[in-house]
Amino acid sequence: MLIINNLSKRFGKVKAVDGLNLTVNRGETVVLMGPSGCGKSTTIRTVNRLIDPDAGSIIFAGQDITGLGQEELRQVRKRIGFVFQQFNLIGRLTALENVMLGLVMGGMEREVAYNKAIVAIDKVGLSNFRDQKPNELSGGQQQRVGIARALAYEPELMLWDEPTASLDPILVREVLVVMEELAKYRASTMVVVTHELPFALHVADRIILMDNGRVVEEGVPSKVFVKPASDIGQRYKELIEYQMNTNALTLAGQKVA
Amino acid sequence: MNFIKKLFKNTFERDILILMLVSIIVGSVLAASVSLTANAYFSKTLANLVGDYGEYDLIINVREEMKDDAAQQLQKIIDDAFPGAKLKEGPTLTGKTSFFVALPEQYKTKKIYEDLGKTFGSIPGGAGIGFMTEPRITVRGVPEGAKNMIVEKISQMDGVKFAFRDGASVGVLLTGLDKVATVNNSVQSLLKQYQVIEISFPVGSEPSNPIRLGEAIANDMCQQLKVNFAQNVSVDGKNDDMTYAVSTMMELRRFLGAYASTVTIKPALGVKLLKGDVAIFQGGSTAGVVSGQAPVQGNVIVEITEIGPNGVGQGIITQGDAKQLAGSMGYRLEKNVASEPIGVASYRNPRQDLGNALNETAKLVNNIPGFIQDAKNISNTGIRVLDNYNNGMVAVERTLSDIESAGSTIQSATSGLAGIDTSGLQNQIDNSSRAMGGLVGTLEVLKLVQADTGGAIDNLNTTRHNLDNMKNTLASLDSVAANARQAKTTIDQVVADANSTVAILKSFDANSARHSLTDADSRLDKIATSIDAPAITTQLSYLAGAVPNLKDEDISHTVRILDKFIAGQVIPGERIQILTTNDISVDAALPIVYRQAGHQNVALYSAAVGVIEPNARGELYRVLSEIKAILAGLTAIVVTVLFLVFDHTTVMSVMRRNRKVQLSKETGLLVKVKRFITGLIVPERKYGMEVGAIMLTAMFILAGGGIPYFPWIGVPILGALLGLIVASYCDKISPVATEEVVAGEALGLSYDEIMREIVIPSARPGLLQKLNSRKMKFN
Repeated sequence: MLIINNLSKRFGKVKAVDGLNLTVNRGETVVLMGPSGCGKSTTIRTVNRLIDPDAGSIIFAGQDITGLGQEELRQVRKRIGFVFQQFNLIGRLTALENVMLGLVMGGMEREVAYNKAIVAIDKVGLSNFRDQKPNELSGGQQQRVGIARALAYEPELMLWDEPTASLDPILVREVLVVMEELAKYRASTMVVVTHELPFALHVADRIILMDNGRVVEEGVPSKVFVKPASDIGQRYKELIEYQMNTNALTLAGQKVA
Repeated sequence: MNFIKKLFKNTFERDILILMLVSIIVGSVLAASVSLTANAYFSKTLANLVGDYGEYDLIINVREEMKDDAAQQLQKIIDDAFPGAKLKEGPTLTGKTSFFVALPEQYKTKKIYEDLGKTFGSIPGGAGIGFMTEPRITVRGVPEGAKNMIVEKISQMDGVKFAFRDGASVGVLLTGLDKVATVNNSVQSLLKQYQVIEISFPVGSEPSNPIRLGEAIANDMCQQLKVNFAQNVSVDGKNDDMTYAVSTMMELRRFLGAYASTVTIKPALGVKLLKGDVAIFQGGSTAGVVSGQAPVQGNVIVEITEIGPNGVGQGIITQGDAKQLAGSMGYRLEKNVASEPIGVASYRNPRQDLGNALNETAKLVNNIPGFIQDAKNISNTGIRVLDNYNNGMVAVERTLSDIESAGSTIQSATSGLAGIDTSGLQNQIDNSSRAMGGLVGTLEVLKLVQADTGGAIDNLNTTRHNLDNMKNTLASLDSVAANARQAKTTIDQVVADANSTVAILKSFDANSARHSLTDADSRLDKIATSIDAPAITTQLSYLAGAVPNLKDEDISHTVRILDKFIAGQVIPGERIQILTTNDISVDAALPIVYRQAGHQNVALYSAAVGVIEPNARGELYRVLSEIKAILAGLTAIVVTVLFLVFDHTTVMSVMRRNRKVQLSKETGLLVKVKRFITGLIVPERKYGMEVGAIMLTAMFILAGGGIPYFPWIGVPILGALLGLIVASYCDKISPVATEEVVAGEALGLSYDEIMREIVIPSARPGLLQKLNSRKMKFN
């Protein structure tokens, strides 16, 4: 579904991404993890070229989107849903209108778009809030609107950039539930940047650990967090054990299908 | 081509173009409205103050407190003199109320305009009359004496109804508004043909009769400089009689001034005299002057007019007569009271001197016949002497000839003698004498021996004595010869000197002298017959007796009266104005002025013969139109800034955000330098400058904006500058919700869609937002 080859991106003297290679298969949920500043968000934003890479190629659904023109890029973006850390809702529009926005601007009939938006809003459990403006919603609700907006397109690929980072734990759960459902029951192809270990443990098909702009380790959660090959992996293992106060292997054992 | 294509596409760029068009139209309308409103207000105010163009013909100012009486009187006058005229009270400013009068056409004549002063002279509280008939031209600064000439020449110009003397100016009424420009040009040309040469005299060097002096200078300029035209215009040529009267009075004043007694006051010890001091003397009063006393009849009062060397004062008598001064001590007069002793006075009375001179002249004249006779006698004697002159010369020449002959005779007679040289003979005689002396000596010895040698000795002695005598005679003979030679030489010298003297005497033209004396004699005869000495003597005596017997105080008083009158007609001595053609330079006139004035203490300037006065109404309207342009310009500037801030900063902020997203965020000195250099041409600043320049320039043009001293090229530059400043602070003025823009990008929205649906609706309220609202899909 998505192949990233030798991706590099520099900001000043800092190399945010340094020769990254990544592959995401259709229906797969890949979680990108790593310490802050390791290049996770940069990587995910280069996928739909919200940030243009300095080098490398990005092949989405067999198409190299690295050198696409604006018009073609826009069309590609409509096939990729993006959920932002800060929700990025349009403040003047209602929740429903936020969801409709991309559809209507993409040329869809308003009524059709409306219906689709209703479905998306319902999917995230915000039927009763569709006419509220973002500033009238809680963070979790806003993020769910953001998810609905991304889903309204029925994208082939969903990108999640730390979707729960701005939320308190209760709201985090709201969002994670949605994410989990999408991952498990909808078989969406997702790339998720998150620090949420439970999600990573329970939902991710593959974990990719990054450090200093590079992939340091990747694999199934039971391998990465139980027998980590990298230093980052080891630290995550320790963290999990600390947080869960239990044996990582047990948890991992539960994971294995 | 791309630009035109963009115009037809439904893009955000087209939105911006439409926005700019609308902004320019709205801004221009606003700027024009402001300026037109202000202009209309001021114009209306002006029209209320001075009436519409050409509505009124006369403006009469009166003192505010008398305006009611003045209004009544004015109405009465115009009813009597100008039936059908309209009177309107105007505004009151600085204590004066203006009244406007509209005259019927038949009353707009030269005579009426020139007599306005007389016609409205009786208005109570009158404070000035002016004419405001349109169209008109006013020429000011025309010298009084040149007005007639200027009026005459202007009256002959095409388009001029008539020209007239308007107080200190020349007013010109035109036949129509279309003639203003041509008449203006014609008058300018006329004024340029002439100049006024102003001759100024500093205090102390003023001429006593500037009128005469001016005329003399003008005449001299015509002759010497071959000038076509030169005229003294220092006084008003309107009334030549008055001119001559003033000139005569000036001469009279000068005569009286010279005729008055001059008093000299030698200051008392410790006293300093100043010009303007007044001294009082006893004069004819019985009592002497006492300090603290006021002047009485009979006192002589002197006003000091000049201070000479050593502090001696000179003055004129303002009370009494000089004859009464008699060397008395004077007192200073302050506030009409005598104070301290001031000094002793002496005087010189020109009248007395004149009388004396006349008497002496009479005596002299009486002696003229005697002088004539004596002169005739001398001339007759002279003629007689000259008659004998030639004879005398002949006699002298003859005598000289005789002397010369005598000299020759003497020379002949004494030539042999003159040639005699007896020196050898004398030597021989000496030798012989000595020899004989030796022989005598021998014989003397022999005598001792032979006594009969005595006789021989005596004979030898006698012979020797005779030889000595002969030698003496020969010496005498030499002397005579020498004297004869000397006589000849002397005679020769005498003859030579005499001959040169005779030559000189011969060169004297005795005939001519004789003729002169003869002529002189004839003239003396004529004088003797033509002069009636007794009659002259009688007249001189009569004159001596007829010299005005004015007292000094009478003279002073008369001079003061004359001064007052003269000052009202012409300022004596301050300046002279000569009207002449413009091709004469001041330097060329300078020598003439110096010569006529008798000194070089003058200053010459060339001035225009007149200047076309700007039409007050026209000037006011011109100022109003400038104000209108300024208001339009300022409004355009404000509106441009507002549009830039409210509409375009959002666009610029997005441009900046997009640019910075693409920026490599490199650091380093070279990068910084590169950014600094290219800083001006970054997209948002370029956009700001272009938009600012276009909007402001277009508004200026459409609204008629203009700023004094600001060239037109400055307008687009100013607009660009405003745009640049706004662009530099665009993200502070209109921050963009970046996350919304990113969301739009992530949703696959185009730049146009992001701007229309996300950025503009959330931006500052403005024209862009208003225009954009119809493009939005989510209102």
